[in-house]
Amino acid sequence: MHLTTEEEHIYDGEEGWAYQTAMRILVKLGDLFGATHLIPIESAHISGVSYKTMGDAAIEFVEALAQAGAKAKVPSTINPAGLDYNRLTEMPVSSKVKEKQAKIISLYRTMGINPILTCTPYYIKKPAQGVHVAWAESSTVIYANSILDAWTNREGGPSALAAALIGKTPDYGMHRPENRKANIAVKVETELENEAQYGALGAYLGKTLKDKIPAFEGLAHPREEDLKQLGAALASTGMTSIFYPCQSCPKSVKRLETVRVGRDELKESMESLSTTDEQPDMVYIGCPHCSFSEVKRVAETIEGRKVKNDVKLWVCTSRYVKERAEFDVATIEAAGGKVVSDTCAVVTWLKKLGVDTLMTNSAKTAYYAPTMNKVKVRFGSLRECIDAACTR
Amino acid sequence: MKVELKGRPIVPGLARGKALVSKKPLSFLGGVDPETSIIIEKNHDLNGQEINGNILCFPHGHGSTVGSYVLYSLVKRGIGPKAIVNETADPVVVVGAVIAEVPMVDGINIGQIGNGDVVEVNGGKGIVRIVKRKKPCI
Repeated sequence: MHLTTEEEHIYDGEEGWAYQTAMRILVKLGDLFGATHLIPIESAHISGVSYKTMGDAAIEFVEALAQAGAKAKVPSTINPAGLDYNRLTEMPVSSKVKEKQAKIISLYRTMGINPILTCTPYYIKKPAQGVHVAWAESSTVIYANSILDAWTNREGGPSALAAALIGKTPDYGMHRPENRKANIAVKVETELENEAQYGALGAYLGKTLKDKIPAFEGLAHPREEDLKQLGAALASTGMTSIFYPCQSCPKSVKRLETVRVGRDELKESMESLSTTDEQPDMVYIGCPHCSFSEVKRVAETIEGRKVKNDVKLWVCTSRYVKERAEFDVATIEAAGGKVVSDTCAVVTWLKKLGVDTLMTNSAKTAYYAPTMNKVKVRFGSLRECIDAACTR
Repeated sequence: MKVELKGRPIVPGLARGKALVSKKPLSFLGGVDPETSIIIEKNHDLNGQEINGNILCFPHGHGSTVGSYVLYSLVKRGIGPKAIVNETADPVVVVGAVIAEVPMVDGINIGQIGNGDVVEVNGGKGIVRIVKRKKPCI
């Protein structure tokens, strides 16, 4: 990789250990994947925040950087934590665990990183179209590339943090136009009725396409949240970082190898995302974190109804959205649901909350929760989820 | 008898020690106990073995990028590998080796190294030398 004189100085340690380490991470990854130089980024989004997922190991490195005085060079945000800071007393973990989680967040804050604690930072501030960013969290990455046209590789926690501290990223992979072209056409030959079916489509395709870049034909008027679910699932079961939900595909796509997805494949995928048909003890909407319109849809669906006494309803979103959707939040909470921010069902201590069976409209959660949270999963649409949560 | 294998330099540094060799990819997050360095990944051919002080040879990493931090943590506790030899370097292990300053080489045919062989790794030159074969069990 070619480095500028200034970058060389950082690489050689003239700006101190923290920036040197960050620079070495970027240069090594750049060398590994054929980058030629570093490019400026508009923002970074960093994963590796929940103490449940990270454990103690990660704290040590992040702490060493923070103590060395490292600061983010570009606006940077972090993923959800393991706890809801508005509901700390309700969280079923020891004070020691709460301290550890607080420490992780404060270390990021010390480095000038916004402790926004959400996987949908784009609902708070959208990047400009066509800019380069360095985002971690696979659902955030695929949303950036596919919906926002902000260009990012699928960063991990450490590389996104390194990019935040340097304000740059190596120019390989998704940062190059030639690597962003669709290379397989997906013809959807059945009508998709809700966001869960979009997720099931993504989960099915992630397994079959691996890291191929699909362009979809036949998606009739998807909503933004449908595409968010499609992308999150696609990036969970596969390695894809971008897809094209084209309404009218360009000619180049029509010449590509075509995969067809019909009613049978979709049904099979829907079924494979459930591990049980039992009554859930938690119903979870908000993976990825809800938009304003999703919170509103939950409120409209639940208005005037009552959540069963033995069921928890969690609607997860960012604190930003929660604070600004106060009327919908009030409707959901009046029905007995909880609008939870700063965390989500997957990165919190679900078992300690007494959850054995989780129902969700997120294919990503349905895919991960049986192993990450050791719970049984029932998968269905938002309406089916609310129906299962409520008495009538 | 000395066998010299030439690979690609990833992280510079010299190390000499016993090779702990796996045919399977390894996830540091969830696959290695950060307190003891024992490999706990299910169905892994090194399950139950300690990484501490060995030259860790495996095809490549997999799993969460938090794995890089686990590798850092092992080394800071003095129970990390002396060096890492991979067939194909992946971002999780590379970043872990960079921040923990563990000598690392990739592009090596792991099959040529026997479990328990004494090997020397020159991370800066991308060389792995087998200096002593473990005597076969009779």
